[in-house]
Amino acid sequence: MSDVIIQASNLSRRFGNFVAVDNITFEVRSGEIFGFLGANGAGKTTAMRILCGLLAPSSGSATVCGYDVATQSEQVKLNIGYMSQRFSLFDDLSVWDNISFYAGIYKMSRAQIKDAGNTMLDKLELSKYKNRLVGSLPLGWKQKLAFAIAIIHKPQLVFLDEPTGGVDPITRRAFWDMLYAAAIEGITIFVTTHYLDEAEYCDRISIMVNGKIGALGTPLELKEQFKVLSIYDVILALARGEEA
Amino acid sequence: MKNLSIFVRKEFLHIVRDPKSLMIMVLLPLVEIMLIGFVLRFEIANTNLAVVDMAKQQQSTKLIHRLEGGDRFKVRLTQSMPEAEELLTEGKVKAILYISEDFDRKAVENSESSLQLLLDATDPNIATTIEAYVKATLADFWVDSIGGSPVPMLITEQMFYYNPLLKSVYATVPGLISVVLMLICALMTSISLTREKESGTLKVLLISPLKPLQIIIGKLAPYLLVSLLITGIILALSFGVFGVPMAGSLIMLIMVSFVYCLCALALGFLISTKAKTQQVAMMMSLAGLMLPTTLLSGMIYPIKNMPLWLQGITYIMPARWFVSILKHIMLKASPFSAYAGELVVLLIMTGIFTLLSLKNFTTRFR
Repeated sequence: MSDVIIQASNLSRRFGNFVAVDNITFEVRSGEIFGFLGANGAGKTTAMRILCGLLAPSSGSATVCGYDVATQSEQVKLNIGYMSQRFSLFDDLSVWDNISFYAGIYKMSRAQIKDAGNTMLDKLELSKYKNRLVGSLPLGWKQKLAFAIAIIHKPQLVFLDEPTGGVDPITRRAFWDMLYAAAIEGITIFVTTHYLDEAEYCDRISIMVNGKIGALGTPLELKEQFKVLSIYDVILALARGEEA
Repeated sequence: MKNLSIFVRKEFLHIVRDPKSLMIMVLLPLVEIMLIGFVLRFEIANTNLAVVDMAKQQQSTKLIHRLEGGDRFKVRLTQSMPEAEELLTEGKVKAILYISEDFDRKAVENSESSLQLLLDATDPNIATTIEAYVKATLADFWVDSIGGSPVPMLITEQMFYYNPLLKSVYATVPGLISVVLMLICALMTSISLTREKESGTLKVLLISPLKPLQIIIGKLAPYLLVSLLITGIILALSFGVFGVPMAGSLIMLIMVSFVYCLCALALGFLISTKAKTQQVAMMMSLAGLMLPTTLLSGMIYPIKNMPLWLQGITYIMPARWFVSILKHIMLKASPFSAYAGELVVLLIMTGIFTLLSLKNFTTRFR
């Protein structure tokens, strides 16, 4: 599958005089794991909010799953999943309550929810904790649960906003195994992260610098392009370029 | 000691770097002192008093002039008792003084004179104070105008229309309802919405196919239900335990409470669009809504006694209008026309708060 699932063309977003996203053009292919990197304040979050249909672009356009984000945001929302840094589960609800709530707002039927929910809990080996409050679960479990819930409605594309923030390396590795499994099932993954080891796991990455896309390609291509050995050095090179 | 000073310094920095909290800390006590200082007054000023002068003679006219002098009463002359009673029911006057035809003659003859004073006793405190003022004015008048003869014993025979036992609970129940509903509707909704914001779940909800309006209604509806339930409980208690009368229509009462709940929910929602954290939402609700609702709704302290600028502020308190409607319905059984205006004000307020918060909500996330 090499269809384009996200197509951004000359996308800009201004807040007053501040240009958060400055004329970016890129595409994400169906089925790939796309890493969206950049320093805090580089415009990642704004770009992601535009692509999720939460924020209208000031100029330019973008389509997600074939729908225009500015005019067809309702269709966009139905076809994407989203998981934030804070896992966005309700701590005071049980595991099952969370599952049925999120599946429910994605318009899944009762039978579908029961079916998908149980399959998911089996896979995560969380079946016996079905009625536990989410707040009492260890962080790693919460994170896996949050991701499984984010894709319970089988979206074509899932946005992950720093999904591994504050999680230990082994749990992070296990989490990435889940991402790969989802990608194999055909779900495109759009992920922002500050962990550069994770950047290396992505099929392709883009690095935003001051609202623009500073670099875009496979991790290998980028290292070759900047003649360095790691993504860390790519980012350093980009930062130096910005200062010069 | 050194640790302590470092700690104090750190705390101090927190405060200084957070101007909003500083403002709250400085302003809150200030506002409280001002409010309590200005509101806690029991003397009466500029009370609306209807006078039905059937005598229309020298002495009765003098008495009316005496009542008009000074700033205690604002006299409204009416032609007949029914006309005056209508004003009383609508709350436009607090008391009626009826001067019978033979007032002048009896006063001079030094025989029993006939004056009738009718008081609106929905606010028992005000009623007794007005009574005392009228008595005092009459006594002065006697000494100055009738003269010669000794001051007669003045027996003002009172007939309390709405609150014959002068129970203050009659006056407090409407206020209590307004405060409790404000607490639940506004405080709870604002906190629960900000909690979603804090935990990041609101963003997930917004990215989901749910429409913003659905999220809002989904959040507010449960609180509306709880509030109506609570209204029912308070009413049941006030009827059953305190014996508060239900003079008017219960259906009307429920409908008006519904409107007030909507208004409070809209306020809570408005707060949540502004507040970033639950604590801020709580502070805003408590300081911005609860305290003024308690003090400025006319529940405890008569609005009439407040300085003019503070009276102006009471106009923007939904509770002021709500309490007034409740008194009309529960105690006076006034006709709908008597409180239609208040209801319209409440509806307009609800509309404005809803529009404002929707605007905030959508511009924030869109």
